[in-house]
Amino acid sequence: MENKRKLQTFFDRILRIKEIGSLSGLIVVMIIFTLLSDKFMTWDNFIGIFTTTSELGIIAVGVAMLMIAGEFDLSVGSVFAVAPMLGALLSNSGVPIFIAFLIGLVFAGSIGFLNGIIVMKAKITSFIATLGTMMLFRGLLLAVSGGFPIDFLGANTDFLNALGGKLFLGIRASGIWFIAATILFSVILNNTKFGNHAFAVGGNAGTAKAVGVNVFKVKMINFVICSVMAGLAGFTMFGRFHSIDPTAGMQLELEAIAAAVIGGTLLTGGYGSIVGAFMGAFLIGVLRSGLILAGAPSYWYQGFIGVFLVLSVILNTKIRKVVAG
Amino acid sequence: MIITDEQKTKLIKNNLVYMENIRVKFGRVVALDGVDFTVGYNEVVGLLGDNGAGKTTLIKALNGYNQISSGNIYFDGRHADFSSPKDARSAGIETAYQDLALVNIMSIARNFFMGRELRKGFAFFKFLDKRQMNKIASRSLKEVGLKNIRAMHETVNFLSGGERQAIAIGRANYFGAKLLILDEPTAALSVTETEWVLQLVKEAKEGGLSVILISHNAYEVYDVSDRFVVLQHGKTYANIKKEDTNPEELIEVIAGRLEK
Ligand SMILES: Nc1ncnc2c1ncn2[C@@H]1O[C@H](COP(=O)(O)OP(=O)(O)OP(=O)(O)O)[C@@H](O)[C@H]1O
Ligand SMILES: [Mg+2]
Repeated sequence: MENKRKLQTFFDRILRIKEIGSLSGLIVVMIIFTLLSDKFMTWDNFIGIFTTTSELGIIAVGVAMLMIAGEFDLSVGSVFAVAPMLGALLSNSGVPIFIAFLIGLVFAGSIGFLNGIIVMKAKITSFIATLGTMMLFRGLLLAVSGGFPIDFLGANTDFLNALGGKLFLGIRASGIWFIAATILFSVILNNTKFGNHAFAVGGNAGTAKAVGVNVFKVKMINFVICSVMAGLAGFTMFGRFHSIDPTAGMQLELEAIAAAVIGGTLLTGGYGSIVGAFMGAFLIGVLRSGLILAGAPSYWYQGFIGVFLVLSVILNTKIRKVVAG
Repeated sequence: MIITDEQKTKLIKNNLVYMENIRVKFGRVVALDGVDFTVGYNEVVGLLGDNGAGKTTLIKALNGYNQISSGNIYFDGRHADFSSPKDARSAGIETAYQDLALVNIMSIARNFFMGRELRKGFAFFKFLDKRQMNKIASRSLKEVGLKNIRAMHETVNFLSGGERQAIAIGRANYFGAKLLILDEPTAALSVTETEWVLQLVKEAKEGGLSVILISHNAYEVYDVSDRFVVLQHGKTYANIKKEDTNPEELIEVIAGRLEK
């Protein structure tokens, strides 16, 4: 009897870990790919996965914050390219790269601000508002660049390397940014008043307002966070290639949402995890690499992510029903 | 009824809540059309009326959730047009809303402290004091008789209707509210839970609070209330002391078949 109760509390504890779904998914997938290919569990491959994961993951962290606060952002893929494109153009015309970087991030933030204002003031759903800005800024990118990539022309590439260059053991700076962002926003979400309010406005905006939470402010800040993170992610890719393509980041918005959702974040807001988004992004990277190593044609990848997305949401939903009702 | 300035000053002084000539409009719908409403110190007012009479709108006007288009509100002797529920809460008004009471998917403790989170640390490094919040929420909820108390990290989704009301009442106790507003707290409750909530209203009064108790059901709130205000189509229809009426009569008044 006593033992049974203990076992129950133990299971309860385990299920309460918001990332349990994505973690177990990750482990299963990694085991399968390790069995399928002996090149999978190697340091080089792991680092390769982590590099592409990082760029997606930095976006996913911001997207998860915003989704928890009850809103969407489809424009992150465009912002991912807009911010470094602006940075590249500015630095090529003589602005110090660090300043150009900051201006790029501020511009990204203003796109988030614009998204937020449209959603909150015109009272339309964020899905449509950010679909609009996504197309608008992608169009702008193509118009400004003429469709061609823009290369970094500066002589000193130290700063770019700090953004996305190789550091040690093949690890890229973007990986550090990704880990730092995950820790930072995880702490903010779970341990600060602002984080609590983000859950509240996503969980029930009316209730949040009724207890005195400034719904407008909390959502606006999350729109800006989301966009700035997308811009930062774009800069880490710019740091990797020292060049930015106007089509960069296309469809990344959907992968970022998939990453957040696989990580347990609720599409309707009020529930989710940043560490979960981290794992979701990592899982997507693992799927991509593992399928290639297992010899599957590369276009299988999207289909697999699709299947995986649905399965993980089913699992996450079942777990959430048990622990959170 | 015309009152002199002197009478009005006295009414403001002697009442915790004094609302005069309140109008609230939603677009072209006039939800409240010149309502006068008072709540005395340490008084329980049963706010009655049919569906759509304007009960919820009235208390949302009082606590700053809805803005009034005209009229005056005084709370605890001061002019108080609260611009948000936050101001109303810090002035001492705690509300359990009919439809917006709690965030279902969040934990009991986080709901208890929502908007008034306890933090520790300094300057930019202030973090939620979860342990303290859990402890206080747990203690306050025990005090209001939340039986089978579960872990404070349990989500509100699992609570019964009565337990939800208990959170609002426990919150009012802990944060030292002067006025507790319960909007149809017994609407979906079992008989036992209804008795429990009404008992808590009595205890709140004994503890010195004033209470606005909104209901459809005159029988249910009759015992615990000191006075009844009946709204109809956004107007004050009746304002009756308990000793001047009985539940049967109140039902007739609510239905508009009897004027008092
Ligand atoms: N946000 C709103 N927008 C438009 N009309 C509203 C809004 N809130 C309330 N109303 C209208 O105002 C009137 C009063 O509504 P209110 O909710 O105050 O009634 P109530 O007495 O609380 O009713 P119930 O017993 O059903 O809770 C109704 O006609 C209602 O339709
Ligand atoms: Mg109502």
